[in-house]
Amino acid sequence: MNTDIKFAILDNSAKSLNDVKNLLELCNLQLDSNIDLFVVAYANKNQIIASTGLYHNIIKCIAIDPKYRGENLSNQLLNEIINYAADKGIFHLFLYTKPENIRIFNECGFYPLVVVPDLATLMENTPVGIAHYCKELSNNQHSGKKIGSIVMNANPFTLGHQYLVEFAAKECDWLYIFVVSEENSLFSFKDRFNLVQAGTAKIANVSVLSSSEYIVSQATFPNYFLKEKADIEHANTGIDLLLFRNYIAPSLNITHRFVGTEPFSPITNKYNQGMKYWLNQYQTMTPKIDLIEIERKHTNGVAISATAVRRLLNENKINEIKELVPETTWNFLQNNYVKNTERYYENR
Amino acid sequence: MKIVKDAIAGTLESSDLQVKVSPQKQLEIVIHSDVIHQFGDQITIIVEDTLKKLGLTEGLIIIEDKGALDCVIKARVEVAVLRGSEVNELNWRTLK
Repeated sequence: MNTDIKFAILDNSAKSLNDVKNLLELCNLQLDSNIDLFVVAYANKNQIIASTGLYHNIIKCIAIDPKYRGENLSNQLLNEIINYAADKGIFHLFLYTKPENIRIFNECGFYPLVVVPDLATLMENTPVGIAHYCKELSNNQHSGKKIGSIVMNANPFTLGHQYLVEFAAKECDWLYIFVVSEENSLFSFKDRFNLVQAGTAKIANVSVLSSSEYIVSQATFPNYFLKEKADIEHANTGIDLLLFRNYIAPSLNITHRFVGTEPFSPITNKYNQGMKYWLNQYQTMTPKIDLIEIERKHTNGVAISATAVRRLLNENKINEIKELVPETTWNFLQNNYVKNTERYYENR
Repeated sequence: MKIVKDAIAGTLESSDLQVKVSPQKQLEIVIHSDVIHQFGDQITIIVEDTLKKLGLTEGLIIIEDKGALDCVIKARVEVAVLRGSEVNELNWRTLK
C-alpha cells in the first residue's frame, strides 16, 4: 500500500487543471466544465494520480491512474470528497457512472437508483433515500382509476399551463402537478409554486407538489463519461423518466402523464419523444404510463409560452403579457416586477 | 435526545466505518457491512446499545461498515450522534 499519497482540494491554476484533464483522458473520460471543486490525490509530492469533482450535490469526474488501481484508492478518494461536501453542509450526494462500475461505488456507500442499460446509472449515498421520499409522497395519495401527472417549471405560470392543467384534470380522477424545485430560473421556486397553486386553486381534483431532487433537471446531468451526444441525451432522459416511472408514479398510482406539444424548442420536442419510449414502450417491472400530448393553447395564432412572457418582461412590454397569463400571475407580476422596477432588475 | 441536523463521522477505509445521521421522526438504523453475514448481529447489538446509552430516540442512522472492531463502531456512532444532536451537556458517565 502506498503511504505517501496525499489528498487535497485542487488549486485552480491552469497547470493543475491541465493535469486533471490529462488524467481523465488517460482514463477515457472528459473534463466536465461544471465543477465547484476537485479533490485530488498526489503521489511523489506533486503528481496527480486520482481525481474527483463536486458540482452542487453531484460527484463527477472520478478517475484513478491505472498504475495506482487495486490499492483501495477509490474508497479513500470518495471518503475525502464526502467530507469536503459535508463541510459545505451537503450530505445527500448523487453520482452518475457506467453500469459496470456499480459495485465499486456500492463499496463506497452509494446505492443505484436507476440504470439506463449499457450507458449510465444514477446512485445516491443512502440506501433509504428514495424509499423514504416515496413513503412521504404516498401520504398525498388520492383514490381513482385514472391518475394524471404534469411536471412543469412554470417560469412563470401562463394561460398555456392553466389550459393543460384544466384539460388533464377533466380527463382524470386526480391530477398531480410537480413544480420543478431546482433554482435555475428567473422566478424562484417559491414564487413559481405559489403561482401554480393560485392558478389552479379553482380546480377541485388537483394537488400541487414540489418536484424534489428525484425529478432531475437536465442541467445537472454530467456527461463526462459519455462521448456521443446522442448517448448523452438518451441516458439523460432515461434516468429522469425511469426515476419517475419506477418510484414516483407507483407511490401515487399515477397512470398518465400530460405534456404540451413543443412548437419552439427542438430539445423539448425530442424530450417528449423520449417520454413515450421510457414511460410507455420500455420494458421494465413497473406499470406503463400513458403519455398524452396536448396541442399548446394559442392566442392570436401564436402558441403561449413562459419563454415569451419572460421575453416581453425583459423588453418591458408589460401590457402584451396580460393576455398570456392568468389573473393570478398577472397580479404577481404587477406587484413584484412592474410597480417596483428596481427589484425586478435586482432579481434578473 | 434526537438528531436535529445531518452529520457524519468516520471513514470508508478498511477496518473503519462511516456513520451518517439525519433528522427523522422515528429511530431507524440501516447497516451496510462487508462482514454482515459473519458479524451482522454483533454490529447491530453494539450500535443499538450505544444509541440506547446516548438516549437517542429519533433519527436516521446509516452505517457503512468496513470491518471495524467493536470499540471503533461504538466511538464512531457516538461522534456522529453527538455532532448531529447539538448536545451541549453530556452525561459522560452513562457512555463509559
